[in-house]
Amino acid sequence: MSYYFRLGAKSNLSADDLVSRLSQFSSVFSKPTLQLVHCLWTEHGPILHSQQELLSMASIGQLVDIQWKLGMAVSSDTCRSLNSPFISVLMKIADTSGEASYKTFEMTVPQFQNFYKQFKEMASVLETV
Amino acid sequence: MADADSQRSLSALLNGITQRVYHGNTEITEDFLKNELYPGMTQDEFRVLHDKMGSLLKSIASADMDQAQLEAFLTAQTRKQGSSGLNSDQAAALGRFWKAHRSRVRESLVAQSHWEPGLKGLRWRVDLHTSASKGTVANNPVALVELEMGRTGEKSEFVCLEFDEQKVNLVLKKMAELQESIDSIVHRS
Repeated sequence: MSYYFRLGAKSNLSADDLVSRLSQFSSVFSKPTLQLVHCLWTEHGPILHSQQELLSMASIGQLVDIQWKLGMAVSSDTCRSLNSPFISVLMKIADTSGEASYKTFEMTVPQFQNFYKQFKEMASVLETV
Repeated sequence: MADADSQRSLSALLNGITQRVYHGNTEITEDFLKNELYPGMTQDEFRVLHDKMGSLLKSIASADMDQAQLEAFLTAQTRKQGSSGLNSDQAAALGRFWKAHRSRVRESLVAQSHWEPGLKGLRWRVDLHTSASKGTVANNPVALVELEMGRTGEKSEFVCLEFDEQKVNLVLKKMAELQESIDSIVHRS
């Protein structure tokens, strides 16, 4: 059923279309179930479709390069004795058209530890999938 | 009894100043503090007390004083003559307050010194891309990473990136170098 909901959202199927596909797919869905789906889809279908459109518009970039810098904030106008390490990251990103852009952000050491941990987990999942 | 009250009021005054100066709580104005804590004082008298405590707190926070430095500092202040000097009640209140609030104030000062967008969040998932080419089906696992970046109090920017295994390993290699650097600093200090 979730496959058909996703298809319905992407293709902007009408409630009638969706119900007819479901009943063609399997006789497991009883009439009351199909009626409920029809009712729900009439109400929520259009919103789901517009959400899907937004998602496909948000572009997914590719990381081209990543650079890091470890710095120490020694002193500032509000605190003469700051002594705080920080990490600066510069990412070069290529968008879907191949155009490159740069993004930069800072992390504290604990934030970096979490960032590193997440990527290690990602690597481990990619290996086992 | 009067001493305990005086200590409580001083403590609350220091707390109020800290809330406004270090934790961004702008509702705690000088007037609010006066009305709540020292309603019997004149405006001028309160201003002198408020400014003195605020300025001393700033000095202590700016130098991130440890216990020894704090004691020396407070002793020197109590020896000063006139209205800029501290009485023993005030010195005791400052000492106790700094001991209890030092790490939170320091956290706030460090956070205030971060001006570039920070990493607010990181979410990821791994997808399996199934592609067909001339009848063959290839399963390519791909990681989708969403980075939330921004400054405190400002709207976040979300950057979505796709990583294959090779790219993830590139990031890991760089992060391992960074970890080495951090470790070498820790060893030196």
